[in-house]
Amino acid sequence: MTLFFQLIVSGLGFGAVYALGAISLTVIFNTSNVVNFASASLSSAVALLMWLALVRLHLSVVLAWLFALVAAMVIGAVVEAAFLRRVERSSLIVQIVMTLGLLVAIEGLDGALYGFNPKTLPHVIHGPSIAIGSVFLDRNDAFILGLTLVLTLVLYLVYQRTRLGLALRAVASDRDVASLMGIQTQRMVSLSWAIGVLLAGVSAILIAPSISLTPTFMENVAVFAFAAAVLGGFGSLPGALVGGLLIGVMSNLISGYLSNNLQLTFVFLMILLVLYIRPNGLFGKRVMSRQ
Amino acid sequence: MMPNPLSRLRKGHMARRGGLAVGFLAFALAPIFVGSNVTTMGILTEAVIYALVVVSLNLLVGFAGLVSIGQAGFLAVGAYAAGYSANHLHLALPLELLLSGILAGLVGFILGLPSGRLRGHYLVIITLGFGLAVPQIALEATDITNGFTGLSISNTQFGPIVMNSPRAMYYFAFVVVAISMMLILLALASKSGRAIMAVRDSEAAALAMGIPVARTKVIVFTLSAFFCGIAGDLFAHFEGLVTPADFTLALSLFFLAAVIVGGLGSVGGSIVGALVLVYVQTRSASVGGYSEFIIGAAVVVVLMLFPEGLASIPALLGRRLHLTRGVAELPGPDAVEPGEVSSIIAGADPGEHQGGVNA
Repeated sequence: MTLFFQLIVSGLGFGAVYALGAISLTVIFNTSNVVNFASASLSSAVALLMWLALVRLHLSVVLAWLFALVAAMVIGAVVEAAFLRRVERSSLIVQIVMTLGLLVAIEGLDGALYGFNPKTLPHVIHGPSIAIGSVFLDRNDAFILGLTLVLTLVLYLVYQRTRLGLALRAVASDRDVASLMGIQTQRMVSLSWAIGVLLAGVSAILIAPSISLTPTFMENVAVFAFAAAVLGGFGSLPGALVGGLLIGVMSNLISGYLSNNLQLTFVFLMILLVLYIRPNGLFGKRVMSRQ
Repeated sequence: MMPNPLSRLRKGHMARRGGLAVGFLAFALAPIFVGSNVTTMGILTEAVIYALVVVSLNLLVGFAGLVSIGQAGFLAVGAYAAGYSANHLHLALPLELLLSGILAGLVGFILGLPSGRLRGHYLVIITLGFGLAVPQIALEATDITNGFTGLSISNTQFGPIVMNSPRAMYYFAFVVVAISMMLILLALASKSGRAIMAVRDSEAAALAMGIPVARTKVIVFTLSAFFCGIAGDLFAHFEGLVTPADFTLALSLFFLAAVIVGGLGSVGGSIVGALVLVYVQTRSASVGGYSEFIIGAAVVVVLMLFPEGLASIPALLGRRLHLTRGVAELPGPDAVEPGEVSSIIAGADPGEHQGGVNA
């Protein structure tokens, strides 16, 4: 039984990372109606910039974080303005393929710039694990979990309690009406891409020390984030958070009891099952499609 | 819009048939022109095999409007079936090819079941998960796949004919791919083929015409996977070794890029796309990242140039020259601008509009 609880607790760190990824996808999807399949390459790029700042340029930790976060927001806004805006009114398939093209191109660009050999990024927090009864929580995992919860809460409050959040939600619910109400919809979409890539970038920086850092290292992580967003119904922030933690814990249980190699398979089967039973996700609302 | 769609369709048909015949001859005679050294034959063989994969993917993306980024998964199923047969079952080559196709088709059928009910991006996520899961399953199912080491295929033999030279291997792949392409073209020209395109153009309209939309999508998935499985079988014979590391997400994305660059809904374009893909890969294989960058950027550029629909360069050129009929103009959900609606309303009832101004 201790193993069971230990697996649950040690799945929370990765779960929080998946949750951040899912929230990133949700924030972008809500305003722009685009599922950002380029997320894996964008977040890898941010983690590589962090490596550049920290390991290559020897910046202080605070400065390196600042550099990486600002870069993430700029990357998000630029990608939206330069590429996604061009296909804003195009069909869904064009938008999907655009993000997939960006995924390949950005990974290739990073590969050409940094090479594909793995790099190491240091853990943010060091120290002994925290004992909770008979199970242990890794200190770095605890930090990731805490940061994720704080970021989600802040984001949730911004969305629910501020005028900016109101504008973002208005754009999410109906872009044309929001525009008629005097909201700068374009700016809101840019902002959501900036926030989205910021969150995905943070998730990449947090998880990079646990796995090797390469231009493609977030691909597998992104699958779990997509799964988390699907579970959460692609739209709600709390849904994405719960979805991410659930996926993290369950895949860790699979890894512990069955095999490390079957995590992805399990997640794939779960998405397949969830979507087969509830095509709009576990927590998603039913939407009628016009096409 | 089109003055005489029927005659235009026929004309397109003739031109396309001509184009395909020229392509067929070009591939059949290629070893004479480009020489038959090992490297060139290898590149050509790979191109022919990839062409079948890209066409099979185009069935999904171009003809049915279903985006898949898990095509390498089907390729893997076919390749492992070939490897397993070569090591354990020792089936005759045609039977083995059929087995690979059927196994992959079965997987495609299962994967296609939920696709009838899903919106576009959910389907992409499912195929993404599928494509990444297959190599992991292959790593785990060591009894069948021999895990990390993979399965090796020592010889390719059809009756008394042994494909032991690069040129023989090329012709073997060429014949199988040519037959498969012919079957695909026949399927597309059939009633189900037209149903597939009707579903792509408008699900609501297709439904109204009595086309079973969900079933049609499952059929496309099964067909696409079947032919991709056959390509996988060829891939296994060509490579001589099948390992889980062969079937990456990058490979699936490359196939999709070839579909986009070659043109949605164009069989000839897909073949060209596969050639371009193999060319870029071999030219920049030594330099890390460049082939990915070029291929990804090509997709982005095509979309930037043609954001309205994925008619793409060859198809657009063809339409300008009246060679092919219009393909793959997929209207988005926001095809009608808000301004248009208001002008339509204003136009429909000018009296009320004027009244409003006067008041």
